[in-house]
Amino acid sequence: MLHIKNLHARVEEKPILKGVDLTVNPGEVHAIMGPNGSGKSTLANIIAGRSDYEVTAGSIDFQGEDIVEMSPEERAQAGIFLAFQYPVEIPGVSNTYFLRAALNAIRKSRGEEELDSLKFLGLIKEKIKSLEFDAAMLNRSVNEGFSGGEKKRNEILQMAVLEPKLCVMDETDSGLDIDALRVVADGVNALRSSERGFLVITHYQRLLNYIVPDYVHVLMGGQIVKSGGKELALEMEERGYGWLEEAIGAGR
Amino acid sequence: MMDTIAQIQSDLAGITFDPSAWPSLRESRERAFQSHKTLGIPTLKDEEWKYTNLREIREDSYKIGQYVALQRDEVSSYLLEDLDPIRLVFVNGHFHLELSSSPSVPGLTFSTLANGVPSELGLLQKIEENTFAALNHATFADGAVVRIAKNTKIERPIMVLNMAVADVDRTVYCAPRTMIIAETGAEATIIESYASVGSRTTFTNAATEIFAGPNTRLEVVKIQGEGLQARHIANVEIKQQADSYLDHFNIAFGGAFTRNDINAFLDGSNISSRIDGVVVVGAEQHCDNHTRLDHAFPNCNSFEVYKHVLSGRSTTVFNGKIYVHQDAQKTDAKQTNQAILLSPEATMNSKPQLEIFADDVKCTHGATVGQLDSMPQFYLQSRGIPKDEAESLLIYAFAAEVLEKISHPGLRDLLEAKLFAKLAADREA
Ligand SMILES: Nc1ncnc2c1ncn2[C@@H]1O[C@H](COP(=O)(O)OP(=O)(O)OP(=O)(O)O)[C@@H](O)[C@H]1O
Ligand SMILES: [Mg+2]
Repeated sequence: MLHIKNLHARVEEKPILKGVDLTVNPGEVHAIMGPNGSGKSTLANIIAGRSDYEVTAGSIDFQGEDIVEMSPEERAQAGIFLAFQYPVEIPGVSNTYFLRAALNAIRKSRGEEELDSLKFLGLIKEKIKSLEFDAAMLNRSVNEGFSGGEKKRNEILQMAVLEPKLCVMDETDSGLDIDALRVVADGVNALRSSERGFLVITHYQRLLNYIVPDYVHVLMGGQIVKSGGKELALEMEERGYGWLEEAIGAGR
Repeated sequence: MMDTIAQIQSDLAGITFDPSAWPSLRESRERAFQSHKTLGIPTLKDEEWKYTNLREIREDSYKIGQYVALQRDEVSSYLLEDLDPIRLVFVNGHFHLELSSSPSVPGLTFSTLANGVPSELGLLQKIEENTFAALNHATFADGAVVRIAKNTKIERPIMVLNMAVADVDRTVYCAPRTMIIAETGAEATIIESYASVGSRTTFTNAATEIFAGPNTRLEVVKIQGEGLQARHIANVEIKQQADSYLDHFNIAFGGAFTRNDINAFLDGSNISSRIDGVVVVGAEQHCDNHTRLDHAFPNCNSFEVYKHVLSGRSTTVFNGKIYVHQDAQKTDAKQTNQAILLSPEATMNSKPQLEIFADDVKCTHGATVGQLDSMPQFYLQSRGIPKDEAESLLIYAFAAEVLEKISHPGLRDLLEAKLFAKLAADREA
């Protein structure tokens, strides 16, 4: 469903992605690991359509369509979802209002009927129950004053409500306590299906015990330098990135 | 004869003084008109009019507004029927009986000046200093009187709607006058709404006096909803007495040219004053808000929040004065003025003025002018919300700090809807 070919991108004249190739098929879970500053969030944000990043070469196909020129909302409506590494606070907009506006925007784009607040509340009730989400947070402003872990849970709640086809999760595990990690992972696993693809960015193999990936990739210096099965994550955790860097250096 | 005409002619061509009207007010009206003539029409050299050019108003010629028998369907969107208000409607300053609905409500006197001039009329307006307040006093045709009796709480919103109706050949002038008198312990929500009909320009020169007696609780919402060709000057004078709470909302979306002077004198202790504004302008609109808070007694607080949203080539002015008099110890005054510029060609002029003569006070002011942040915008879009809608939502959130304070839920919803509609219209313009 997602085909990234030779993707080059820069931000403020600084090249960050230097030829990324990645394919995610429906039903697959791909994990991306890599050192700080290697370009993981850049890749995630580019998939979601953030305009601060300029794609200078390559292509991103989603369900057979090149999405590079598409607006963020068009991508979301097509089924792409990014769980942010740093979810944004929006004072003055209630979480419920925001969730309903998002869901209805997506439904509308598909020619589906918009949900009134009553129907929406019915739907959201179910979701917050399974995610053990504190209902009081629905009436608060989006992410405002949420703890780090609460923000991450809120991302997953949005994902559960919007039911995207491609879920890109940028370090959703960072900041979650051990119990929250399991709840979030259960939520993600509940969403796993043969039609849905996942791109899970993480620093820690621990998450991958819960959300078991089909593939693991290592992004370094703006390129995917190594790909493998779930055992690659274990290896990275054990050995760190230094050896890979040396190995690549030696290969050049 | 020539002499007489010169005597009754304002500097604004076509606006004349009728000495025979309102015999009981003859002395104060003549004095007001003389004052207006002496003060003349201010220029940009006048510090109070530095950013607001009255040239178009000065050079136009006028026709005094007459009664027009407006039909309900011409004004239905302004009647706010959904809120089920108690309502007085004036057309070009003249009372319109059929559009009004003033059932008898215990404790509420809701009437016109023609039915009886309250003794408070003119006590607050500064006709010696303010040329437009003076002109209003000399030229009003009629006006609204809202008197809420002691310890009465009025549940339904009270509304005074002033319609300006344009004419084909000349600018119509009208001088709406509103008196709001809340006696000890009274409580109410009052909507003072201005709107216009017709494509030619109109000039509304409004004056409002608000007497908030001891221990009253008032919410006064002024809506400038006139058309995009209308000109509007309003002088709002508020006097608050001990232990009262008053929130004045200045909702300014309409008008080509708008100037509001909103002054509150805190004439007692333990007063809470809220002076709030939401200004949304686009295209060539100009909106100037001057506010002044006078803290004269100890232990009062005032919180002022003004929010401006500008697009197109619009301009706004905010001038907020806070005077803390010598006796006003333990004053807590906070002023915040914020603007979002949606267009590089829009301009905001801002001038806070704090003058403090007491030593034990807390007085702060802050002003910010900026653009919408890109991250919240991206966050909303990344959830499928279209760009324009995301922008409106963020602007709504920006204005919500003020709008959310409106206690009447129906009115709050209505203003929110109006805000979204105005933002959409400004985007089209
Ligand atoms: N707006 C920006 N302006 C300048 N540099 C930027 C900008 N955004 C990202 N970068 C730089 O791009 C590089 C890649 O950043 P990115 O956030 O993609 O890293 P990451 O792999 O997600 O790191 P982490 O593991 O720390 O989250 C970093 O060097 C970062 O400083
Ligand atoms: Mg990152």
